[in-house]
Amino acid sequence: MSTNTTLQDENPAVRAPLVLGGKDFHGVTTAVSEIVERPTPKPWILGFLISLAVLGILGATLADLVGVGIGEWGLNHPVGWAWDITGFVFWIGIGHAGTLISAILFLFRQKWRTSINRAAEAMTIFAVFAALLFPGFHVGRIWLAYWMFPLPNQMNMWPNFRSPLLWDVFAVSTYGTVSILFWYVGLVPDLATLRDRASTKLRQMVYGIFALGWRGSHRHWVNYERAYLMLAGLSTPLVLSVHTIVSFDFAVSVLPGWHTTIFPPYFVAGAIFSGFAMVVTLMVVARAAYGLHDLLTIRHLENMNKIILATGTMVGYAYGMEFFIAWYSGNDYEVYAFTNRAFGPYAWAYWTMISCNVIGPQLFWFKKMRTSIPVMFVISITVNIGMWFERFVIISTSLHRDFLPSSWGYFQPTIIDISMFLGSFGLFFTMFLLFVRYLPMIAIGEVKAVMPAANPHGEHGEDERHTAEAAHAHG
Amino acid sequence: MKRAPYTYGQDLSGKQYWRSLDELAETPEFKEALEREFPDGASELLDPVTRRAFMNLMGATVGLAGLTACRRPEEKILPYSKRPEDVVEGMPLYYATAMPFAGTAIGLLVESHTGRPTKIEGNPRHADSLGAANVYAQSSVLDLYDPDRLTSSYEGKVSVENKRTAEQVKAALSARGTALKGKGGTGLAILTEAHRSPTLARQLDEVKKQLPGAKVYRWDAFSRDNVREGSRIAFGRPLDVSLALENAKVIVSVGSDFMHTEGSPVKNARAFASGRKLAEANAEMNRLYVVESHYTVTGSNADHRLRIPARDVPAFAMALARELATAHGVNLGDVTGAVDAYKPELVEKTGKWARAVAKDLAANRGTSALIAGDSLPPAVHAVVAAVNHALGNAGKTVNYVKAVDESSDGVASISALVQSLKAGEVDTLLILGGNPVFTAPADLDFAAAMDKAAVSIFHGLQENETAQKAKWVVHASHYLESWGDVRALDGTASVVQPLVAPLYASFTELDVLEGLLGGTRSSHELVRATWQAEKGGVDFEKNWRRALHDGLFAGTAYAPEAVEAKPADVAAAARALVVQKADGLEVTFHPDSHAWDGKYANNGWLQEMPDPMTKLTWDNAAFISKATADANGLRSGDVVTLSLKGGGSLTIPVLIAPGQADDSVALTVGQGRKVVGGVGKGVGFDAYGLRKTTGMSVVQGASLSKTGGRHDLAQTQTHHVMEGRPLVRETTLEKYRQTPNFAQTMVQHPPLLSLFDDFKYEGHKWGMVIDLTSCIGCNACMVACQAENNIPLVGKKGVLMSREMHWIRVDRYYEGDIGDPHAVFQPLPCQQCENAPCEQVCPVAATTHSSEGLNDMVYNRCIGTRYCANNCPYKVRRFNFFNYSTDNITNPKELGKGPEVNWSTTREMQFNPNVTVRARGVMEKCTYCVQRIQEAKIAAKREQQERVKDGAVVTACAQTCPTEAIIFGDLNDKGSRVAKHAASPRDYGILAELNTRPRTTYQAKIRNPNKELEQA
Repeated sequence: MSTNTTLQDENPAVRAPLVLGGKDFHGVTTAVSEIVERPTPKPWILGFLISLAVLGILGATLADLVGVGIGEWGLNHPVGWAWDITGFVFWIGIGHAGTLISAILFLFRQKWRTSINRAAEAMTIFAVFAALLFPGFHVGRIWLAYWMFPLPNQMNMWPNFRSPLLWDVFAVSTYGTVSILFWYVGLVPDLATLRDRASTKLRQMVYGIFALGWRGSHRHWVNYERAYLMLAGLSTPLVLSVHTIVSFDFAVSVLPGWHTTIFPPYFVAGAIFSGFAMVVTLMVVARAAYGLHDLLTIRHLENMNKIILATGTMVGYAYGMEFFIAWYSGNDYEVYAFTNRAFGPYAWAYWTMISCNVIGPQLFWFKKMRTSIPVMFVISITVNIGMWFERFVIISTSLHRDFLPSSWGYFQPTIIDISMFLGSFGLFFTMFLLFVRYLPMIAIGEVKAVMPAANPHGEHGEDERHTAEAAHAHG
Repeated sequence: MKRAPYTYGQDLSGKQYWRSLDELAETPEFKEALEREFPDGASELLDPVTRRAFMNLMGATVGLAGLTACRRPEEKILPYSKRPEDVVEGMPLYYATAMPFAGTAIGLLVESHTGRPTKIEGNPRHADSLGAANVYAQSSVLDLYDPDRLTSSYEGKVSVENKRTAEQVKAALSARGTALKGKGGTGLAILTEAHRSPTLARQLDEVKKQLPGAKVYRWDAFSRDNVREGSRIAFGRPLDVSLALENAKVIVSVGSDFMHTEGSPVKNARAFASGRKLAEANAEMNRLYVVESHYTVTGSNADHRLRIPARDVPAFAMALARELATAHGVNLGDVTGAVDAYKPELVEKTGKWARAVAKDLAANRGTSALIAGDSLPPAVHAVVAAVNHALGNAGKTVNYVKAVDESSDGVASISALVQSLKAGEVDTLLILGGNPVFTAPADLDFAAAMDKAAVSIFHGLQENETAQKAKWVVHASHYLESWGDVRALDGTASVVQPLVAPLYASFTELDVLEGLLGGTRSSHELVRATWQAEKGGVDFEKNWRRALHDGLFAGTAYAPEAVEAKPADVAAAARALVVQKADGLEVTFHPDSHAWDGKYANNGWLQEMPDPMTKLTWDNAAFISKATADANGLRSGDVVTLSLKGGGSLTIPVLIAPGQADDSVALTVGQGRKVVGGVGKGVGFDAYGLRKTTGMSVVQGASLSKTGGRHDLAQTQTHHVMEGRPLVRETTLEKYRQTPNFAQTMVQHPPLLSLFDDFKYEGHKWGMVIDLTSCIGCNACMVACQAENNIPLVGKKGVLMSREMHWIRVDRYYEGDIGDPHAVFQPLPCQQCENAPCEQVCPVAATTHSSEGLNDMVYNRCIGTRYCANNCPYKVRRFNFFNYSTDNITNPKELGKGPEVNWSTTREMQFNPNVTVRARGVMEKCTYCVQRIQEAKIAAKREQQERVKDGAVVTACAQTCPTEAIIFGDLNDKGSRVAKHAASPRDYGILAELNTRPRTTYQAKIRNPNKELEQA
């Protein structure tokens, strides 16, 4: 296993291989499929039970919110949104990495994406589900939340198309739908592999149904490649649009601290930042748990850490720029909003955010740091803590002290605020654990395509033009 | 709600008609015959049951079974079989009545929907109302429906087995009366409140005539004895003081909160404000000086406020008199010598003040008013009266009028009663209203004395501390269900007219006395008889009807007495005055802004109404200055033990109150009731324990010690400065004359443009203007809005979480030094922005703009995203976090109170039927009383008017505003008051630079400071 940690870039002209351990195609298939086929490991059961318990907390919380009212949260009159929308933006942000990896990196021919894209996409979908909990349940009359959809009715009453919340409905639902499609299309060949390897009738049937009759024929592969490319093209603008539109919830308002034009790029950078951090956290664990060191190499993790460093720095720039513009605008309310952010009652939240998001990731300038598993694990977690705080700081510190000092207030979370947020992790991890147990968490077909063995021309250095066709030929 | 009439034939009167003996006996044969004659479901199943028919039926059954779940709850209603005259459902009726309040009465017009009084308005004809009302009058309708009211009389403790019917009560009273008559009334003591009812006085005289041994006492926790005693010293007669401040250019209040709690507050506030309405830029303004220790509403409106401990206030009044006499030649006669010891500088930092104020007073002889606080010693009142007389103010700005009752209603009276009780002279104690066990001076120990009476009868609205000690509890009628009469401070007499028959067959005070005398006359007859005697003659019926209609007997106001000063007596009193010396901290006692003297402790509207200055709700606290707090190492919310040297201590939280005098602790009495309904239970701390006959208003020698405990104080506003933001824009009169439009040029911003053409308002264009110069911060608008718009309460916990629901709030900002700031008020309803930020962010279009410019809120459509509230720069939107108005039973812990706070079968009767009661999860906010607008539009249409006339629509807040600070109307009507005000150079919109284009605008605040005191 020593090769796993050896960084094979002594020759900068030659890229490090993406699959280590001398695995051939069959080795890859086995390594990934066996995770699903082996008997259920004990740690998984333990993890699953914990997740299920946390999911139960979510269920109880939602019952309370629907039964009693959202007054169970700590919201009040200046602060109409707090942990609810913070949770929403937090999860939507996490949900950004998947599509970015699948779509944008695919279009840019970043081959290292193949080992992580499946899990990242799954994570995206589950994060979107977790995110949807919050806007769904934060409305006062959840039983009427469907009025946000443009449903024809006898009163000819349509939603208000000027409202950013309505744009959210469209943006997030489109994003969720395309992400699921994209993920599923990518899964089809692997589902067929699992079907073919199935040892029981049930498995064969279930995987068979979802494999949609995939036989790995050339025609299948051609159609598949086209569909995949088109979906990648569709998803790419979505990666940018979803968080841009989410940021409009704030940017379109009149509130100092919300009303700012930097939000769209700033939110997108932040979303990618948090999404990659979540992928790193999950992959570090999955890699260790399932011994996927050969497929999820240090190079993969290091690449992701580089992205974290880049986006983290962008976010830091945005933080600074907000202050500069507040000062430069000469608007007293704006100046106060930012002074209050850094030095007011929520200063602790602000400085937590700065430490986690701006200072922490700077360690990744050092190669030692960005290739150290413990360091990246800790930083990836603190980045997500910081990104949660970023949303909380934006939402709550802007709301709690806006224009009229007479209405200033302070938000304190209740136990129900906390259990709702905690519970969303229960939902996320339950789904994610089910995913790693029953579906191939690495895209077998795609990984094979980036292996040297897929190259019919043999060792051609970094020229990997023909790999895709080769992979198909070898099935 | 589905409404189904009772089935025909079922007689609701309970009478059973029968057609045959069998039917009467309900024999099985008869029932069977009936069944055969009219079988249930007779048309079904005539055919034999086939398989097909069975399947059909079963299918339909299953199909329809689901529908049953969709049925609306069924509720039986009864239509009028004979419609009462004038009652049209949906059309409210208004009746005139009057509410006795403190030392006066407030004339009212009460709105009644199908027999239920729902809303209090002022009576424009009544001198003490002038169409306005204060918080206490506005909220009194809630007391009528208080679910904790006594619903029955009891012999002994209030419990089911002690219930007594009205007949039993009457029999018992009459038996008692007969027994008393046997011994000539000896042993009977009657304790009333400081009532102002001519008929009650007549009844009491009747009692004294028939029972010559009977004694009558009066007690009010805030007695006006000192005022009358002061006049007696000064003029030889115990006269009352009624102010006519509309004639005053300079007003000096020495410890008097005459605009909020003393005298005729509503009338005084109106008169004060009328001297400050700035129609043109060069208009004149009156000037108000206030000297006080505790920051009051009156003090906050002063052009100059002198903050000194209460012990120094009498000395200041004396120094002022001395200065007037010596420096300005005001002829005070012998008084000059008596006050000679009071050099202006004797009282700390007051020399300059006394000189400046004296100069201003002397320059405005006959157009100035010097007002002394009710609680100041009689000698101070006497000197003040002498000064007013010497300045020629008496009869012009300060009227000395006949007192309705010259007897004591304070310490003298209650002490005499207690003495007599302790001596065993009283065997029958009849307490008509009030709560002396709770409110009497602590050292008298009224509760123990009360036990000495063999029979004690308590007559009151609610079970309270006194009721608990009484042998008999007679449940009283609320004034809205009683016949009675009352005189205002100036003597104007009104008939207290019932709006509704007593909800619980209760008794008025008149009924109780009548019962005691063994008579059978009703209160109505008694009141009529009083006025028949007064205004008899052939025209009586006409006069009586007019009085009922107008709410008052015209010409009953007392003429100001022609007074002759008695300087020698005043001088003697002034010499005898002992000024309290500083000794540790001083403690002052004030009525609680929520509970008054304790009688309103169970009124949720009042408990949740923020104190005008501190914005404290659901509590009382020891108010101390920042310096006193620092000296004792205290923060707001720290629980302290406040001990008096003379004995007595109180555990209470402190609240740092800017403007409070240093070394002075202000306490409000009335909270901390032990025996009280669900609303008042556990609210506040009882400060009566420290109030003794020797120190009813100010006492020295107190000390504070920290207990280490903390208490949550729920304030509706926790940030008290404007942070330099141009929200309340104010200037001095002088600067205003130079630049009348200063407020409009205060904020610089780029041109506010729009990509779209403005909407053209063809019809009405509603708007509101709020005059900050007039607003005194009394909160009357808030309660009026609460009553009109069915606004729920959220309880102390709700306020602590900043969830209060008031649609209009009064923001209070301090400016300047935290120890001695000046305060400004800003009532803030929805600004009904033309370019409303809330409207464009609502995803379901639940808030939209109407064609008349209103920012409408559609409750039915709202799903509760709260985005609108977040985006509202004025933060006027209110969210129903729970089902506050109906079933908060599900979550009483959130309210910190039982469910009865917002809902009970009686409470429900107060709801305005024209306003939706909002459900959980819905946003709400000020609608400019859209229901009133619609009503006026319908009326205008019916009368074929082209448009609603100016003044035909008044919002609830504008209607009740004592100072007419809120003006509402049609901006498209160029002749309307609101349009004229909106065109004033003082007019500005707050945060207009955001391009919200608020429709509610403000008139900048102008103060009229004295230059000599400016450079302090």
